[in-house]
Amino acid sequence: MSDETGFFLLLMSNGLLIGLMYALIALGFVLVYKATDAVNFAQGEFVMISGILVAAALGVWGAPLWLAVALGIGTMIVFGFGLERVMLRKLIGRPVIAVVMATIGLASILRGIGPTAFGAGSRPLPLPISDAPFVIGPLFIPPIQLVGGLVSLLFLTGFGWFFVKSRKGIAMRAVADNQQVAMAMGINVQRYFGLAWAMAGLVSALGGIIWGSSVGVDVNLALVGLKVFPVVILGGLDSIPGAVVGGLIVGVVENIAAGYVDPYVGGGTKDFAPYVLMILVLMIRPYGIFGKKIIERV
Amino acid sequence: MIHRECGVLKTSYAADMALYPLPIAKWTVGVLAVIFFAVIPLALHEYYLSIANLVWIAVIGALGLNILVGYTGQVSIGHGAFMSVGAYTAANLVTRLDSPWPVNLLAGGLMAAAVGAVVGIPSLRIKGLYLAIATLAGQLIIEWIINHVTFISGGVQASIPVPRPYLGTMELSSQRDMYYFLLVFVVLAIVGTLNLVRSRIGRAFIAIRDQDIAAEIIGIDIFRYKLLAFAISSFYAGVTGVLYTYFLGIANYEQFQIGVSIDYLAMIIVGGLGSVLGSVLGAIFITLLPIVIRLSMEAFGGLFLEPQTVLNLIPNLRLMMFGALIIFFLVVEPDGLNRLWRNIRNYFRIWPFAY
Amino acid sequence: MRQFVIGLLAALVALAGGLGTVSPAGANHEIVIGMQCDRTGPTQIVGTVLCPGKHDYIALVNSKGGVEGHKIKALEVDHEYKVPPGVESYERHKKEGAVTIDVYGTPHIYALTAKLTEDRIPGTSPGFGSAAAADGTRYPYIFPIAATYWSQGAAAVHFAKQQLGGSLKGKKIAYIFYDNPAGREPIEVIEDLAKREGFTLRTFAVPPPGVEMGAQILDIAQRFRADFVIGHLFGGAPAVSIKELKRVGYPLNKVVSFVWGSAEANIEAAGGFATAEGYYTMQFAGVGKDYPVLNEIREMYKKQGKPAPKEMESTVYYNRGVLIAALHVEAIRHALKAKPDGKITGTDVKAGFEKISNFTLGGLVPPLKITPTDHEGGGLVQIWQVKGGKFVKTTDWFSAYPDVLADHIKKAASK
Repeated sequence: MSDETGFFLLLMSNGLLIGLMYALIALGFVLVYKATDAVNFAQGEFVMISGILVAAALGVWGAPLWLAVALGIGTMIVFGFGLERVMLRKLIGRPVIAVVMATIGLASILRGIGPTAFGAGSRPLPLPISDAPFVIGPLFIPPIQLVGGLVSLLFLTGFGWFFVKSRKGIAMRAVADNQQVAMAMGINVQRYFGLAWAMAGLVSALGGIIWGSSVGVDVNLALVGLKVFPVVILGGLDSIPGAVVGGLIVGVVENIAAGYVDPYVGGGTKDFAPYVLMILVLMIRPYGIFGKKIIERV
Repeated sequence: MIHRECGVLKTSYAADMALYPLPIAKWTVGVLAVIFFAVIPLALHEYYLSIANLVWIAVIGALGLNILVGYTGQVSIGHGAFMSVGAYTAANLVTRLDSPWPVNLLAGGLMAAAVGAVVGIPSLRIKGLYLAIATLAGQLIIEWIINHVTFISGGVQASIPVPRPYLGTMELSSQRDMYYFLLVFVVLAIVGTLNLVRSRIGRAFIAIRDQDIAAEIIGIDIFRYKLLAFAISSFYAGVTGVLYTYFLGIANYEQFQIGVSIDYLAMIIVGGLGSVLGSVLGAIFITLLPIVIRLSMEAFGGLFLEPQTVLNLIPNLRLMMFGALIIFFLVVEPDGLNRLWRNIRNYFRIWPFAY
Repeated sequence: MRQFVIGLLAALVALAGGLGTVSPAGANHEIVIGMQCDRTGPTQIVGTVLCPGKHDYIALVNSKGGVEGHKIKALEVDHEYKVPPGVESYERHKKEGAVTIDVYGTPHIYALTAKLTEDRIPGTSPGFGSAAAADGTRYPYIFPIAATYWSQGAAAVHFAKQQLGGSLKGKKIAYIFYDNPAGREPIEVIEDLAKREGFTLRTFAVPPPGVEMGAQILDIAQRFRADFVIGHLFGGAPAVSIKELKRVGYPLNKVVSFVWGSAEANIEAAGGFATAEGYYTMQFAGVGKDYPVLNEIREMYKKQGKPAPKEMESTVYYNRGVLIAALHVEAIRHALKAKPDGKITGTDVKAGFEKISNFTLGGLVPPLKITPTDHEGGGLVQIWQVKGGKFVKTTDWFSAYPDVLADHIKKAASK
């Protein structure tokens, strides 16, 4: 195998794995949108705050790993429920910009709370996963990305099952489809909204742990949230498989851009390429690859 | 406005739509003019004028964004990028052609309007959240282009120094000079917006916001008016960018990043969507909020806490209060400061009688 | 409604109270340093350690009776790395009578350059800002006072040359940088050096925020196969680069990082000192706790019955804070020596900065020599390596290729 082919394969494997890690963050976003039609611009901050919490539990309070992880997940689930109750319930039926802005406000609060409560310094979030990569032929597979990818796929199948088969999942789809009819059918809409936010909290907690372990924990961890938008738009805002496929596309496009476009442009096209692709997709399929086709057109 | 409107009976649509709704309004405006053009600049220290200048710049930008978001109902997270387009257009003109500032101001605005209209094209096909994210992409793409095309950015530092503007032979350099310079444009922007929104164009914008399909049926060319809204809003943004560039003496793209777009959105939401007074109040509020929080913390925080703790706490508290206030306004007073102001006015209108 | 109006009025009164307590300028004989800080923005990891370092040094100076009998007051304003608050903070400092401004942030020094020059107040940009500002004749009131990105680039190439056996002919060097103006600034210098030393240079851009750079690192290690890597990253990105390099098996002792990827925080975030073993870092202030001035600060806290602040553990940024504050104080000292009545202005402090020479604080500060033409003071750096759980000094203060840098400064001035 020539060097070039090997390098190409490396880029691809790296793109696919990192794409699954993006999908993990995008899942939280999609879950909320699917169930409640609300958008969460604070997704990155959710990830950041849970990462900080787990790292602080491990590093400062010396908790064992299982307890720290449980604490992170538990807190985020409670936080999701609470958030719905305190803030988002009041914004039901308001224009999209109101919810966008409210979550931007929430992001600002979380960015203030993180350093105030736990200190501003960078922290490691050590998981008992080795840094040494698995070497398969020309490929290096870092274990942490493998774990992230597995968690993503696990959630994909888990939530897929939940929405298609379980009673609660079907109710949640009904709520998302038409709140008034769902209410008339005796579904407690508000409870399901809370549940959706709690699920988003759960996914964010795991995202925070895995990303935090990968890049270290501080306020800048929230910036992974910016990666979410091309992912969810490409995949379709309300599609769980879409989040995964969107993640994979963004991961691969980024790596191709960095490997083959950057040398000719002399600048980083990596973050820019997914957005260009996103605009193109929006022009052709405004509802994304897997999204519901009921986009309003003018 | 601040006056009581007893005994006014309007008998025609023209009177109802007039810029001055009441005869006495002319007097109110006159008094305000004296306060802003004479009392404030002459009585206050340069430091406070520098804050006022930041407010004025924000007012113009917020007015522009409100035309798009508040009046036409199209969400945009790319306002900061349009400002940078104006800023770099002006900076390039002044360094390459040595053109005078009125030309640069106009050119910056027009260039931003053109770019804004292009970024607005997706609005013809998508709306709501999808549009918001498309404009976010516009913001990132414009940032990237300015950052990488050295013809625009003037070198790897992506910053172009700009000489101070001259009025005749007078160089406008102190904060007081800048205050007057900017205030003129604030007045122009406010009057321009007031006139725009009560004109045919403004009514078309509002119709599109309220019910776009109905608007199309009554004969409004949605395609044209949506792009026009993007163009006008971006023109304001471009002018803001040019003024900011003259204010600082440098064009630098790092001053127009995504956080700026979000701050402007916060201004119009806190101030009140679809309201001129709201844009002004929102710009004042968001610009002053961090300063007031800091000054009060510096004054009172030392009473309870260690000085080092206070220094660490002030900025984080500011972040939290900023977020909390935005959420507070969204939840409790969705129509923003503008509505609050009207509530207070209505209270005093019948004061001291409760009913 | 009535309650609401009353509440609003009360809030307004409180607000006016807050505004009213800003003390008028010149009421006392304190010398004011205007200090900008970022404790909440994207560089808060730096700011929350750097700024306490500055305050501690100034407290130390004041506890010893101040400078030439005058107390120093450091007025800190946090600007969250945003420009409008940065401008506002400058005007505030000016109002409070600041005679020197410790600017923080590349966009901020750009935004304030015109103002500082008009108002004749010196402003410093240690380790960031425009490299061309080293030219004191062109930027009379801007003082980089530490190695600029150009000097850092030249020093990094020089260091690579030493590490690769004294010659770079035919070698391959990768420059991995944050894709913003600060990251791109040194490229022109490194490109010139590539021609002169005969090495192949490839640049790898990492777009902000740089949480993922697998493709670039794979390219460096597997396709380009660099002999040496020069890193110039910010925020969380240096830690990611260390992890990724490690993962593809690239030896970290062939990597040197510019000054903002060189702190304990970066190493910690990458997984600790054991992970980053071998990584070379560039420093413009001494690293570690073993300096007389730091002992004095600990002593000062002990006298007050307080433990030494935890920020002192993060020695890279803390020491840089001490360095920055110390250079400001030193400039003020020179100014006060010239004008003992204490009525000094920005112009006097500017002259004071230009007299700084061989002020080393026992090795924490490089032996700078700031002159009216050279506001950088020589562009000296040290290289420290991650070794056995701590930073170990690899080289003493040095600067490299002064002729190339001088060429670039001249070229920038003629533009």
